[in-house]
Amino acid sequence: MNNRNYYIHLLILCIIQILILNHVHIGSYFYINIYILALYVLPHKVKGIVSLLIGFLLGGLIDLSCNTLGIHAAASTFVAYLRPYLSRDMNEETEEYTQNNSKTLELGWFFQYTLLSTFLFHIILVFLEAFSFREIGTTLLRVIASTFISEIFIMLYYFICLKENKK
Amino acid sequence: MKEIIRLIKKYQFSLFFILLEIICFSLVIRENSYQRAIFSQHATTFFGYVATLTSGVEEYFHLRATNKTLAEENTALKNKLAAYHVPGDTLPPPVHDSCTIYDYHQAKIINGTYNLTKNYLTLNLGKKDGIEKEMAVCSPEGVVGLIQDMSDHFSVVIPLINTQSIISAKIKNNNYYGPLQWDGDDYRYSYLNDIPYHVEVHAGDTIVTSNYSSIFPEGIPIGVVEEVSQANANFLKIKVRLAVDFRRLTYVYVIQNKTRSEQQQLEALNYHE
Repeated sequence: MNNRNYYIHLLILCIIQILILNHVHIGSYFYINIYILALYVLPHKVKGIVSLLIGFLLGGLIDLSCNTLGIHAAASTFVAYLRPYLSRDMNEETEEYTQNNSKTLELGWFFQYTLLSTFLFHIILVFLEAFSFREIGTTLLRVIASTFISEIFIMLYYFICLKENKK
Repeated sequence: MKEIIRLIKKYQFSLFFILLEIICFSLVIRENSYQRAIFSQHATTFFGYVATLTSGVEEYFHLRATNKTLAEENTALKNKLAAYHVPGDTLPPPVHDSCTIYDYHQAKIINGTYNLTKNYLTLNLGKKDGIEKEMAVCSPEGVVGLIQDMSDHFSVVIPLINTQSIISAKIKNNNYYGPLQWDGDDYRYSYLNDIPYHVEVHAGDTIVTSNYSSIFPEGIPIGVVEEVSQANANFLKIKVRLAVDFRRLTYVYVIQNKTRSEQQQLEALNYHE
C-alpha cells in the first residue's frame, strides 16, 4: 500500500471510530475498536520508533475523543510494539515478504494476525480500564466479547475497502 | 560511555516502548478519577506499611519528649479529677450512654511532611478502627488537623500546616470567630482572617476552636496571638503561634463527633437558600 492510500485509510478509520463506533453501546461487554486496523496496515517501511509514535498518537487521539486519557494510548502503543514480532512469527519466508508488500493483505494470514493483535490489544485496554484483578472473570469475558465484535468489524472493513484496493 | 550508547541504540525500540507506556500509565492515573482512586488506595496501604517499619525505630528517639507531655497531661487530668473528688468518697462508675458526644481514639503518627506547602500526616488507624472522613485530630497540646482519607489500616491527616486546610477558630476572650488558614511559609505560625477591624486583639490572646464547627469540640487550643496587623480596610490579619509543634508530634487523638451526621442531616433539610 502506498503512502497516500494509507493516509486515506487512516483518516476514514479515525472518522468511523470517533464519530460512529464510540457512540455505539451494545451492553457493557462490547467495545468496538476498529481504529487499530490502521496500525496493522501501516506501510512496511515505517519501522521502529516512528511506528511506536504513530501508535501512541493514534491511541491518544481516540483517548481525547472519549475522555479516557492514556488507556487507548497504552494499548495501541503495545500493538505497535508487537507488530514486528507478530508479523515475523506468522511469516516464515521473511525475505520474500519484505519484497512483496501485498502479502499483508492475504486473507488467511491477515485474519490470524489481526485476531491475535486485537486480542492482545483488548487485554491491555480492558484491564487498564478495570484497573483491578478483583472481578477477573467479568473482565476476561469483556476482553473476549470486545475482541470478537472488533474483529468482525475489522474483517468487514477488509472485505469492503482493502480487498478492492489490491485489485 | 560508548558501550552504553551502543546498548541504548541496540534496544532503542524496546526502551522507547517502555518510555511511552510509562507516559500512558501516568496519564491514566493522573487524568482518570476512578483509576487514580484505586491507585492511591493501594499506594497508601503500601507506603503505610513501609512507614510503620521506619517509625518503629524512630519513635525511640522521641521517648523523652513523649513521656514529658504525657506526664504533663496526666497531672492536668488528675487536677481536674481532684476538683470533683469528695474526700472519703469514690467516684460513681462511668456511665456509657448516648449523652457522650465525642469519642476519642488514640493514634500514632507514622509518617508526615513538614516543609512543603501541602503537608500531610499518616496515622496508624484506619477504617477498621472506626476512623471516618473529616474526623478531628488533636494532640494533648491542641489541634492537629482533619482526617482526609483512609484505607483499612491507615489514614491521612490534612494538618493545620497545609495551605488547603481551613478551620473555624475564635478568640477565646471575646468569641469573635474567623477562618484559620496557613500561608505555607513557617510551620510554627498560621493566620486568623476575617476578624473585623474594631475588635481588640492583643498579642498573647488564646485562639481556640469555635462552636461553629461540627468536627472539633469547642475550646480546644489552637495557639496564641503573636502579632496583629491590618489586612485591608475592614479586617485584621492575626498571626497565630500554633500550640502544636508539628516537628515533634508522635501521639495524637482522633475525635469522633457522634452527633455530627444527625446535625448535618437536619441542616441539609432546613438550610435553604
